[in-house]
Amino acid sequence: MGIPTTYTEQELVLALKERNNQAFGFLYDNYAGALYSIIKQIITDNSELASDVLQEVFINIWRKIETYDQTKGRLFTWMLNIARNASIDTLRSKSYQNSQKNQELPDNVYKGVANQTTQQNVDNIGLKKVLEKLKPEHRVLVELAYFKGFTHEEIAEMMAIPLGTVKTRIRNALLQLREYLK
Amino acid sequence: MNLKDYIESGIIESYVMGLASESEKAEFEQLCTQHPELVAARRRFEEGLEDYASKQAVPPPPEVKVKILEVIGHTDPRTTASSNPPKIVNMENSKTPVRSSGLLRFIAAASVVLLIGMAWLYYQTMQQNKDLVNTNDRLKVSLDTTKNILDRIVQEQKQINDPNTTVVNMVGTKVAPKSSANIYWDSASTNVYLVVKNMPRLPNNQQYQLWALIDGKPKDLGVFDATDDKVILKMKNTQKAQAFAITIEQHGGSPSPTLEKMQSLGKTLQTQ
Repeated sequence: MGIPTTYTEQELVLALKERNNQAFGFLYDNYAGALYSIIKQIITDNSELASDVLQEVFINIWRKIETYDQTKGRLFTWMLNIARNASIDTLRSKSYQNSQKNQELPDNVYKGVANQTTQQNVDNIGLKKVLEKLKPEHRVLVELAYFKGFTHEEIAEMMAIPLGTVKTRIRNALLQLREYLK
Repeated sequence: MNLKDYIESGIIESYVMGLASESEKAEFEQLCTQHPELVAARRRFEEGLEDYASKQAVPPPPEVKVKILEVIGHTDPRTTASSNPPKIVNMENSKTPVRSSGLLRFIAAASVVLLIGMAWLYYQTMQQNKDLVNTNDRLKVSLDTTKNILDRIVQEQKQINDPNTTVVNMVGTKVAPKSSANIYWDSASTNVYLVVKNMPRLPNNQQYQLWALIDGKPKDLGVFDATDDKVILKMKNTQKAQAFAITIEQHGGSPSPTLEKMQSLGKTLQTQ
């Protein structure tokens, strides 16, 4: 009785922390698509792997819901970061790297990444679509940082630009992104 | 700090998207507790991001939800949540506590079958191993024998090729024109070898006997059979011989040759 068909974020978090399966079903139905989209933007070439990651992400959300702190951000932000981190971990896993090794030589791995990021515009989805609107030199940095998971230091090294420039450009790019998302 | 500049620095977006460094994160979270307008700005960006992401949603394959519900339905997170590692490494583990008794029965039955299978396999392997050991022993004996024979042949071959060795070609007599054999006689070591080339088969009660003729007197150098065809035979040694002769004698040989039955004769170059 009284099973809500919709929840406010507050109610949803509360129900999830009480291990309410119904609430979890609601969470999945409402957010799986958005999270699957971000996973596929990171793991671009393997749908099966992407759905494995999605599964892992939701199981993680279920298990770690206790650790979610509402003061630090919205539930979706928390889940989005779990999905992004899991995708990047997969991207960097040995087994994934091995499956890719014919495509990239270790020497030019950075170049490879940079090329990929500029070449993938055609089938861009989700956030990447917004990135298209950015200047190429900004877009590449956001791609490397957000979708490939490189640290600012790594990006500065691979792009041979000062760390400060990397930070500034990424910040500027994100500010532009904010304008598009408004 | 100018809050407006801080908000416009891109830190909010950096933080929300997980691109801020640890120190930036700590600072941002600290400032959020003091400045509600910072929190409001953060919320605005989060909502924009969420709206956009929801619009860009890609429907996942339907089986993913089924799998997830299966896994979480079988776990009681209240008992495991605290001790859970932050990452799910193995999905199988989470299913372990809820295996049905049917599955357990199946596993038990499978274990028995497996055990019997292993025992049988072990027996087979042991049996096979025993057979292999036997075969190996037989082969080893055979190899040793062959090796001995070969060593002997090599030794004899060396002897035959020795510069001290005289080759005496034994030719047939009138009685047996086809009989032929070679004598290899090493005058240094006094060894005598005989290679039968063509000697007719003899009745069982007879054997060939080799003689050395020294100053007109025969010296017994041993008996042999025609069946030893083409094998190098080591005969008795002799220091001297002007000629060699082969006669047919009774089985085991005679003290003196039956010269009318002389089959073959060969002269050496040795002078008296």
